[in-house]
Amino acid sequence: MIPLLNVNKLSKEFKKPGYVFNRKKHTALYPISFNIHAYKTLAIVGESGSGKSTLAKLLVGAEKPTSGEIKLNGQLLQAGNFKQRCQHIRMIFQDSSTTLNPSLTIQQLLDEPLKLNTNLDELERSQLISETLQQVGLLSDHMNFYPHMFSGGQKQRISLARAIILKPQVIILDEALASLDPSLRSQMINLLLDIQEQMGLAFILISHNLGIVKHFSDDIIVLNKGKVIEEGKTLDVLSAPQKKYTKKFIMSQQFQLLSRQ
Amino acid sequence: MNLLDIRNLSIVMLSGNKKIVAVDRVSLVMKEGELRGLVGESGSGKSLLAQAIIGVLDEKWIVDADRFHWRGNDLMRLSIAERKKIISKDIAMIFQEPMSCLDPTTTIGEQLEEAVDDKQLTGFFWQKKKQRKLAAITLLHKVGIKKHTECTRSYPHQLTEALCQRVMIAMALARRPILLIADEPTAAMESTNQGQIFRLLASLNQLKNMSVLLISHDLENMAHWTKRITVMYSGQFVEAGTTEQIFTTPFHPYTKALVESTSHASLTLEPKSKLSALPGSIPILQHLPIGCRLGPRCPRAQQACVNAPKAKNYHGHIVSCHYSLKDTY
Repeated sequence: MIPLLNVNKLSKEFKKPGYVFNRKKHTALYPISFNIHAYKTLAIVGESGSGKSTLAKLLVGAEKPTSGEIKLNGQLLQAGNFKQRCQHIRMIFQDSSTTLNPSLTIQQLLDEPLKLNTNLDELERSQLISETLQQVGLLSDHMNFYPHMFSGGQKQRISLARAIILKPQVIILDEALASLDPSLRSQMINLLLDIQEQMGLAFILISHNLGIVKHFSDDIIVLNKGKVIEEGKTLDVLSAPQKKYTKKFIMSQQFQLLSRQ
Repeated sequence: MNLLDIRNLSIVMLSGNKKIVAVDRVSLVMKEGELRGLVGESGSGKSLLAQAIIGVLDEKWIVDADRFHWRGNDLMRLSIAERKKIISKDIAMIFQEPMSCLDPTTTIGEQLEEAVDDKQLTGFFWQKKKQRKLAAITLLHKVGIKKHTECTRSYPHQLTEALCQRVMIAMALARRPILLIADEPTAAMESTNQGQIFRLLASLNQLKNMSVLLISHDLENMAHWTKRITVMYSGQFVEAGTTEQIFTTPFHPYTKALVESTSHASLTLEPKSKLSALPGSIPILQHLPIGCRLGPRCPRAQQACVNAPKAKNYHGHIVSCHYSLKDTY
């Protein structure tokens, strides 16, 4: 079976400022390879500076990789080809209130990716927008609202609507659940699982909350300083970590696999 | 004797001719040497309550309480100056985002020396100056910063978030407070750093017998560090009890939902199964529901819920709900 997304020896180096003879390089991400299948979720965990956000940026095309390749359905994704990429790989950011343009209504916000990527006419577009809003648990009347009229949880739903409106295959959640309140977070997790089931999406979940990772993901990659420390099935890694770093990371969250009723 | 005894505290704002009750008759009792957690989601009024305790609220907020006692003194009856005197001596507070609370234009050392209490110093001014410096360094040692020379010389932006929070705690300790209020001390911090800060607060609580009121939105973290927890929702008191009681037998539907939303780590819960979640979202201050504010989201709501419930006490486990889950256990 061809994996949905195949990442092969992807790496990223940043040049540090310096004189000609004193140029240094900082490797943010050492070569990393993994596969993701449809309907599956891959979690990437690590401390800050571990390269998880760099990996997300590389996948979504915001940064050019130093080496390596990304294949979607066996087809190579070129570094500069955004038209091809942003249809299939979309991203949801941590702080939903700052990623939505405050001067546009929700309809205008969701219209933008459609205008740029599809050939639909105006009527079809507004129909699709209202369908997508309903899919994420909002009303089609919300089209004419501005972002400030929504609460934090609803804003995150709008970001999700913006991500799924182009019917992508992979969605990257960069700490998308961290800033939500606990009761809204459960709602959001339920919604994401629903949508994954309906659309056959693959999620890449970047998070430091191991509780969510355990519940949500199928596979896990533990990163530290750009290197892969451990990877495997989430339950295996979390219940029996092999490496010292992983054990420490799990300890730091007082995270135990409880057998509470 | 109770350290802090608050009964039915309300915080009201008048906007136009409308009265907005941001905090609605909340009670909080703290004993000496207690480490208590105050949990609530955003907009639950937990920060307002903390600010009301130390009296730094704006003029537009009107604070009213049936009882507001600090070690037997009724604070509501004292004049503002007297109140300030007591509170600044006995209570200290640390805030979230330590970086933005520290002065970016002066070094950590200078800021710490400023915080040192004058009354602890003796002698002439040159002796005082020396003592002041020494006191600042001991404060840094107390919060576990060993490299004091580097730390005192640096500016806030040169330190990490966790170090800044340690400095903030050091400043709070300068007057040897009896109660330390920590308002989301670890928001937006890495989990490893979060652990450090919580451990520091817990050790201060045990070694110095300092009471700590720990405010957070995350029930998960609190469970490991606190003995007793008070839960608030949208400005109303929900439930209070020992951590054990809150986690194993929550009486209030809201607490139950909160506890369930944190138990992702449970092995028996099937991965990718549906989590139980309350429908709807947290009401905003302008449109608060009448009666029990959980009403529109509550699975057990009935007609009586349009009247705010009274708090009932079952052996120290206090709950404020008409249809509590007590009988289901």
